[in-house]
Formats: sequence, structure tokens, C-alpha cells
Amino acid sequence: MKLTIERAALLKALGHVQSVVERRNTIPILSNVLLRGADGKLALSATDMDIEMISAVPAQGAKTGGTTVPAHTLYDITRKLPEGAQVLLELGSDKGQMTLRSGRSTFTLACLPAEDYPVMSGSDLAHNFTISAADLKRLIDRTRFAISTEETRYYLNGIYLHAAKSNDVNMLRAVATDGHRLARMELPLPDGAAGMPGVIVPRKAVGELRKLLDEFDQDVAVSLSDTKIRFAFGDSTVLTSKLIDGTFPDYDRVIPTGNDKVLEVECKSFAAAVDRVSTISSEKSRAVKLAIERNSLTLSATSPENGTASEEIEVRYSASPIEIGFNSRYLLDITEQIEGEGAKFVMADAASPTLVRDATDGSALYVLMPMRV
Amino acid sequence: MSEDDFSVPEAEEAGEGTLALPLPRENPELIGHEAAEAAFLAAYNARRLPHAWLVAGPAGVGKASFAFRAARFLLAQQEAGGLLGDMAPPTALTIAPDHPAFRLVASGAHPDLLVVERGWDEKRKRLRSEIVVDDARATAAFLHLTPSQGAWRVVIVDGADDMNRNAANALLKVLEEPPKRAVLFLTSESPGRLLPTIRSRCRILYMNGLPQDTVVAAIRRYMPGFGADDAATLAQLAGGSIGRARSLAAQDGLAVQHGLFDLLGGLPKLPGESLHAFAEKLVRGEGSGFRLLADLLPRAVAATAMLGLGREPAASPSERVILARLAAHRSPAHWVELWRRIGQLFAAADGIELDRKAVVLDAFFALEDAVR
Repeated sequence: MKLTIERAALLKALGHVQSVVERRNTIPILSNVLLRGADGKLALSATDMDIEMISAVPAQGAKTGGTTVPAHTLYDITRKLPEGAQVLLELGSDKGQMTLRSGRSTFTLACLPAEDYPVMSGSDLAHNFTISAADLKRLIDRTRFAISTEETRYYLNGIYLHAAKSNDVNMLRAVATDGHRLARMELPLPDGAAGMPGVIVPRKAVGELRKLLDEFDQDVAVSLSDTKIRFAFGDSTVLTSKLIDGTFPDYDRVIPTGNDKVLEVECKSFAAAVDRVSTISSEKSRAVKLAIERNSLTLSATSPENGTASEEIEVRYSASPIEIGFNSRYLLDITEQIEGEGAKFVMADAASPTLVRDATDGSALYVLMPMRV
Repeated sequence: MSEDDFSVPEAEEAGEGTLALPLPRENPELIGHEAAEAAFLAAYNARRLPHAWLVAGPAGVGKASFAFRAARFLLAQQEAGGLLGDMAPPTALTIAPDHPAFRLVASGAHPDLLVVERGWDEKRKRLRSEIVVDDARATAAFLHLTPSQGAWRVVIVDGADDMNRNAANALLKVLEEPPKRAVLFLTSESPGRLLPTIRSRCRILYMNGLPQDTVVAAIRRYMPGFGADDAATLAQLAGGSIGRARSLAAQDGLAVQHGLFDLLGGLPKLPGESLHAFAEKLVRGEGSGFRLLADLLPRAVAATAMLGLGREPAASPSERVILARLAAHRSPAHWVELWRRIGQLFAAADGIELDRKAVVLDAFFALEDAVR
């Protein structure tokens, strides 16, 4: 392998892949990045054995071949090279060392054989569809906050991505819940996604994917099977992840259908008021009480250590008065996701799950369990 | 390149004239244990593979080598249960060293294999003395993700005896609700000391010590520095364990054995100078020589008792002469009692930290007493 690459391109690609390489690794080869040269391209690939990230950059040089070198070292070297530099990578004949040359700098890096590096095969990914980066971003952002971190319920440690019917229209749905709240976002089902298995994308993969989405705005090619999911950005960057091997609970049963008390609030001012009042509520419970009467909402919080707080805001409400408590953190998480001006709370009573939606956009739906206050 | 702070020492240094044995994860062959292999294959071919195997046997006989071998075999299969029913059932667990599954397992980077062993303690810069609960919990986290390459996920708990109570309970949770397409291998030197609830959830495979000539052949192969006689003595001391033969070789076990029998041969006279020199040498450094004697000396006494009872112990001809002379001095019952006392003495040295040199001297004085 003998290739010349632009420093900026190499740095960008390394930036993508090195984030999955764990800094502390007891297995030497997993600290490395796999380099493979072919067809005027250099493909860089890194994995933590659960997620694999591949990033390809244009490179000049004919000889093909591959090796692995320490990822963070290569990243640091590239970072410190001057802007606009050309980088020459050359694999020694015994494959034990790779030489990196740029300007007057020369580095030799210890290599481990490419054959010892794990690669996630993508041949069996039977379901393929394309989704715009903006849509994928919305699917993630609207649901990600509700992912559980509790390891005993491991099947909740990700976003459940599946095809479902909503009012007889086929939809692609993302759902996440931690048992206290649930977030569901749906979009019209992309072509090719019909018949896809429901998959749970692990939290870490969601995080890495979201980072990539900040940099790319083209369409994303999604391929999946019941054991893996792959997101391809153009022909340069590919993220593949294992899935959570479990059954996502039948979440439809916790989405209330018979709630009749509708509260409409102006989202921003409501969130600001919740934030202010919650200053008083204790660190542990973070509870705020909502006392709702005709067209008026009183938010209040009490804590034996801190004192009390209350704030009244104007709302639209016409059902019978109700007092209900929520975790203020959860209320803020949800209102943060609502882009429209108004939010709609649909309640039954102080002990039953409450439905929250954007007043104008029906694609996202949130369920929130009340707190006893 | 500078030394990586987190690198874990692979194995203790081999002594001069010895080659390192291949690590279990990169060992392409298993010496002996055909029965264990056949039992595993039979279960696999019958599509009734138990989800957990307890590989039990003495140290260094190849328990981990077997576990890695079976793991590679499973990881190389593309279909769980085999959709291609008409394919001939496999007859061996062998996976060629250039097979991708072999290479990945050897490099420690197979995404569908998790090895649980004593972890590296970053604060103290050494291996922990036990498998802690976080190590065991990693098993659950690993098995809650889908496989990345083939059909199976494999966990090897190398040294299940090292698990502390919490780790054992964490692993028990996994054994109680095993996920599909997952197999666990636990290796154990003393399966009786594991939680009965763990034991009862595993299929137990006993791996006995290897025959003497197998061990001799392995010594000649991996440690070509030894002549035929030395290899035979080493194999005898190793009691059917290749791993033990290697660590004996690395600790200069033959020298300790020769020194021991020189002293035993001199009984009832115990030349003070050579006894002190011998004891001094043993307790120097890390004390591996001392632990070796703690094993070899009671063995010699036990062999004496056996001779007295008319049974034939494992010993070279010259050693047998010395032992027979000792046996003539006292009744077998007396030698058994002495064996017990010396064993206690050495145990006390570790337990209540007696001075090791004094322990060695004491043990020899007890022998001197017996033949006076």
C-alpha cells in the first residue's frame, strides 16, 4: 500500500472513525484503525465490536493493501500537520510498520495485520430504504431523550424503529421509553421499508449516528436485518451497528385513548414557567404541581428544605378542574422537542398517563406518567 | 513505542530453554481430550447444544484451549441450527489457523466472543485477584446485543473459580435466562466450589490429566531444551498437565526436585550447610520456588507412604531407591501422619505468614526425626 492523501480529508475521516475507538483498550488491535487502499480511495474503519464506522477518502496511488495502525496516534499526527499538507502512507514490505511522510516529517507506526481486525459484514442486510437526513434527525431527536439507561430493562436501551400503520397509512415509527415517559415519532414509510423487521438501535449507535447527521445533509441509505443496521452517507461514510437482542414492549397499550381533559399552552412560556418553579422542587423528586381551572394554570412546587414557588399562566382549558403533578425535567424534555407554538396536554385524571402533542404537528406524540404530589 | 499503560501481561515469562506454550486463544490444536470433543460435537450435531458448559479439570490440561476451540467452531458457523440440513455433520472442532474466525479470536477482537477473566486493576497496576461483578455484568450487556458476524455468540469465563460472590450471582442471572444462539463456557479447577446453582445449570465436561507419554511428547515439542530423561521427570512431576510441566520448567522445577532428592538421599544425615543453602534459594524472590517445594515435598512423602503400602508411586528409578529406603524406616501410617503435618506447615506459611525459610527447615527436621 502506497497512497497520497490530502491532510484535510484524512483528518475529517479520522475524526469520524476515531470516536468509536475506545481510549482504554485491553485488546491491542481494537485501539487501531483499519486502513484499506483500493480504486483511488483509502477506506478507514474503526470498531468497538458493537459499532463499526467506515469513512473513505480520495487517495492517489495504485497499490492496494491494508493494515491497522493506532487510531489516536494517527489522528494526533494528522491533526498536528500543517494545513494543506499532503500525506504519504506507505506500508513496509514486512507489513510490520507503516511510514507516514508529510513535508519534512517522517513517522513510522507499528502495524497489526488487517486480517486480525473485525469487519461487520453487510451482505445479509435484506431491507433497504432511503431517508432524508432531516427526517432521520427528527426521528432521533424527538425520541432519543426518552431512552432508558436502566440496564435491567436492556430492551429499552435504544430506539425501536419499525413499520406500523397509523390510520391505515404505512408509517416508519421510532419509539423510546424508560417506563416514566414515552416518545413516538412517525413519518410516511419510505419505499423499500415495507416488511422490515422491528429493530432496537442501541443508544451508543444513536449517539454516533446523530453526530454524523450534523455533518451530512444528503439522503441516508439505511439497510437492516434482524441483527444489524447500517447507515450509509453518500459513498464516503458508513455506520454499522449491532442491535439490541430483545423484544420491545407493546407500547401501544400505554398510549391512552380515552383522555378527555384538553389543556392547551403556549409552549415557550409554559416551559420557562416550569423551569422557574422547579428551582424550588427538591433535587430528588423534581416535582411540580399543575392546578388547572378554566383557562388558568397554576404551577407550584414545595420542598421542606427550600420553600415554595408558584406561578400562574394563561391557558386554554374548559374541562372540569384538575390537579396533577409531573417531573419537571420530563416536562422540559418534551417541551424542548415541540417546535410549534402550542402544546396540547390531554389528561384523564391525576393518576393516569397524559398525552402530549405539538398543537399543529401530529407526527410526534409523548406519553407522560404523572407524579403523586 | 512506549509501553501502553493498559496492556495486560499475556503470560509469565518462560524460563531459559523453554518455548512459551501457545495461548489458549491462539492454540490451533488440542492435545488429548477426544472424549470431551466428541461429547460436544454430538450435542451440536443433535441440535441440542446446551447453552452452558462447565469445563472442569486440573490446571494446565487444556480446559481453556478446549473452550476456545469450541468457541471458534461455533463462531465459524454461519447458521444456528443449520438450515442446510443435508450437509454432512461436522466431525471435528478444528478451524484452520487462517480462517477469519481463528484470526479474530486469536487477536482478541472477535465481535461475537466475550472472554471474562480477571481484569486489570489500573490503580494497583496488576491483575485483580478475582473476577469482579463488573466483569461478569459485561456478559449480560454482551448477550443483549445481536451477533455481528455469524449466528452464535460465545462467552468464555476463563477461571470461573476466580469469580467472587457478586460476580457469580451476576453470571447466574445470565445462566438462568440464556438468550438464544448464545453459548457459555466456564472453566474450573474445582467445580465443587462453584455455586451449586451455577453448576446445575451447566453441562459438565471433565477433563482428566493427560497420559504420561502425551505430556512427555508435548514437553519435547514445546520445550526442546529438555532431554528425554528430564522430560520424563518433568512429566511425572506435572501429573498429566502440560501447563504445569511448563510452569515447572519455567521455575526450574527440576533443580528443586533434584535438590530435594539430594537431601532426602542423604537422610538420616542432614548436612546443615547444604540444607540452609537449599532453603535460602527457595525463599528468594517471589517465592515461586517455595510454593514448588510446598508441592514437591508432600508429594515425596506421600510416595513414600504408598511404597510402604505396596503401591507403585510415579517416580524415576533413582528416586524410587531413595523413597524405598525412607519407607523402610517407619510404618505407612507414620508417613501419612508426616505428610499431613508437612502439608499443614506449608499451608500455615501462607495463611499466617510464617517465615518461609523456617518452614522449609522445620519440614526437613521433621523428616530427619522420622528416620533417626
